Amino acid sequence: MPSYIALFGNPNTGKTSLFNNLTGSYEYVGNWSGVTVEKKIGILRQHDVPIVDLPGIYSLQPLSRDEGVATEFLLTESFSAIVNIVDASQLKRNLHLTVQLLEFGKPLIIALNMIDVAEKRGVKVDAEKLSQCIGVPVIPVIARTGKGTEELVRTILSLTEQSGPSFSIDYGRAVEAAVQKIGEQLPDDVPVSKRWLALQFLEGNERVHAYLQTYVDVAPLRSIRDNARQTLGHSLAEHMYEVRDQWIANVVETSTVAMKQKPLTLTEKIDAIVTNKYLGLPIFLLFMYIMFMLTFDWLGSPLADLLDQFFSGPLTDWLSKLLSLIGASPFIKELVLSGIVSGVGGVLVFVPQIFILFFFISLLEDSGYMARVAMVMDRFMEAIGLNGKAFIPMIIGFGCNVPGVMATRTIEQPKERLLTILLLPFMSCSARLPVYALFAGTFFAKNQAIVVFFLYVLGIVVALGLAKLFSATLLKDESSVFVIELPPYRMPQALTLWRSTWDKGKGFVRKAGTFIFGGSVAIWLLTYVGPKGIGVSMDDSFLAVIGSVLAPILAPLGFGTWQAGASLITGFLAKEVVVSTMNIIYHAKDMDVLQGAIVQHFTPLSALSFMAFVLLYTPCLATVATIRKETGARKWMFVSIGCALTVAYTISFLIYEGGKLLGY
Amino acid sequence: MVLADLQQGQQAVITHLAVANEVVKQRLIHMGMHEGEKVCVKCVMPFGGPLMVEVDGQYICLRRKEAACIGVK
Repeated sequence: MPSYIALFGNPNTGKTSLFNNLTGSYEYVGNWSGVTVEKKIGILRQHDVPIVDLPGIYSLQPLSRDEGVATEFLLTESFSAIVNIVDASQLKRNLHLTVQLLEFGKPLIIALNMIDVAEKRGVKVDAEKLSQCIGVPVIPVIARTGKGTEELVRTILSLTEQSGPSFSIDYGRAVEAAVQKIGEQLPDDVPVSKRWLALQFLEGNERVHAYLQTYVDVAPLRSIRDNARQTLGHSLAEHMYEVRDQWIANVVETSTVAMKQKPLTLTEKIDAIVTNKYLGLPIFLLFMYIMFMLTFDWLGSPLADLLDQFFSGPLTDWLSKLLSLIGASPFIKELVLSGIVSGVGGVLVFVPQIFILFFFISLLEDSGYMARVAMVMDRFMEAIGLNGKAFIPMIIGFGCNVPGVMATRTIEQPKERLLTILLLPFMSCSARLPVYALFAGTFFAKNQAIVVFFLYVLGIVVALGLAKLFSATLLKDESSVFVIELPPYRMPQALTLWRSTWDKGKGFVRKAGTFIFGGSVAIWLLTYVGPKGIGVSMDDSFLAVIGSVLAPILAPLGFGTWQAGASLITGFLAKEVVVSTMNIIYHAKDMDVLQGAIVQHFTPLSALSFMAFVLLYTPCLATVATIRKETGARKWMFVSIGCALTVAYTISFLIYEGGKLLGY
Repeated sequence: MVLADLQQGQQAVITHLAVANEVVKQRLIHMGMHEGEKVCVKCVMPFGGPLMVEVDGQYICLRRKEAACIGVK
């Protein structure tokens, strides 16, 4: 029985779906290349064997960060077997990776997925013949539904350490001689197959090059490579690709039967409309418009109102009675009712809106439209020095900036990736939504959706403007590249959609139970105690002292009160805490009371300026930590914060002072 | 003739892949675009935007700049 299993395969072939079925976990899945950017470990159900899910790769030569994770794993971790998931509808391309994995020499099983898609395209794959040709077990599976996983598990368990394939392709005299010579140079204690190392080195795999450097002097190896190239007369990588291609063509020919092809696939029909030359962009904008209207106007707001009524009415009454019943002290009563219920409840009322937004993002991810959006947007992104692929992390960033920053790993050019990371915090995430809902609902009740839409657009425009600025200076000498695979459309399954929506929304609810709960208690305590003692009036509290420091700085922006200053500081924890803090500061039991209170402290103009400031100012704690981790340098984290604060101050200043000049 | 010259719906065979950028070239090869493969232009984005092509049942989107370096007949 193998002790540690790794899942390898091309991007978007269903590795994570299979992983979820094998382990019973709910990792994030979607229909585009690059959903998984980090390795994830799970346990094979009922058998206590660890399995690792890896980002999709086309070959073992990494071109982007997420692909690097897979090669790194292969070289440095001691696993005992490989499950290679192969897309039957793209057999030729998938087998190129399989060959490289077989050369690695670990026991391997092929999980053959998407046989149905292949049949629609007119190709029938015979799993048994494929298994005979390659010499490893081939198990047909349907990763989305879990069909075939039992058989796969049985086969995995029957593997022994010795059952590694004795696989070898003859690459011709020149290459084989070079492999032999390189093998002689390597010490016997390399834990990885020498033949595989030699082949990857000859192909020009940079990561293997670096790996070999830790064992031997690579100069003689390089001269072996150069000699082989001269003997061959052309590029080694191309030669090796062709040899493999030949071998694969034979395998494909013996193991597949061509059937009558259906005239026009559904994907082609849909693509004729949504990627139409003229309709492509308008259709995407229409989709976004419907998303906003449903979230803020048609469906989200009424639901949020209902929830608000429940929190401020029945829930508060019950809690108040319960607390009296158990004889809680007035201090505890105050803490629970004005601290926790106001703070946490004030944020939880926005759960319906946030779930609607997440539902649409999940729909975009699961249907196959995501990669098309990247294509439709590419021309525009090219003009500002980025590429269409950078648009995907930005859309994910509308949900939450943290996974957005992670998703940039699929961008090949390092500088382009860095730039996308720095601009991501300007994408208005769901945590900023409660702030908009509160202020826009108070001051712009009739045009709520339009005002919020304006803020989202403002974030995008600022990000793109900065992109243009940076790409003309910082990234001058790096050309932007764009190649993307467009997956076939799939009807999103209700269950997957729900899981995916819940998985994202869960984070918001969990934050309410942890960060916002803790924050609310702390904030309430800061309002309860002050320099003069305990139980002071709000204006003499510590929170007022802290907020007052910021007030004069914020005055030119139209909200120079200590309350605004204090909420903005606490908003660094998570942006929805701005609303929690205001609920506590203004003693608001429900939204109506809070709206009544902020009307006295803000004008419509200063409210707009405040919303713009919340949108643009420092990214939240979690995002800042992720930026630090993903860029690998503290410097970029500070650049991001500094840049955000400067931009926020400038824009809010322009809105407020400009608006005043115009007479608002 | 190059790939960028093809009209929507036209099909051709790739004769050479002279893409200068190594990353793009590798990606295209990995996705199945290599010499001798049949390629069909599925749609072309306006204002000099990218093209969507089909190779062996696989849809790939690439920029016109790169498509201009791919010879077809």
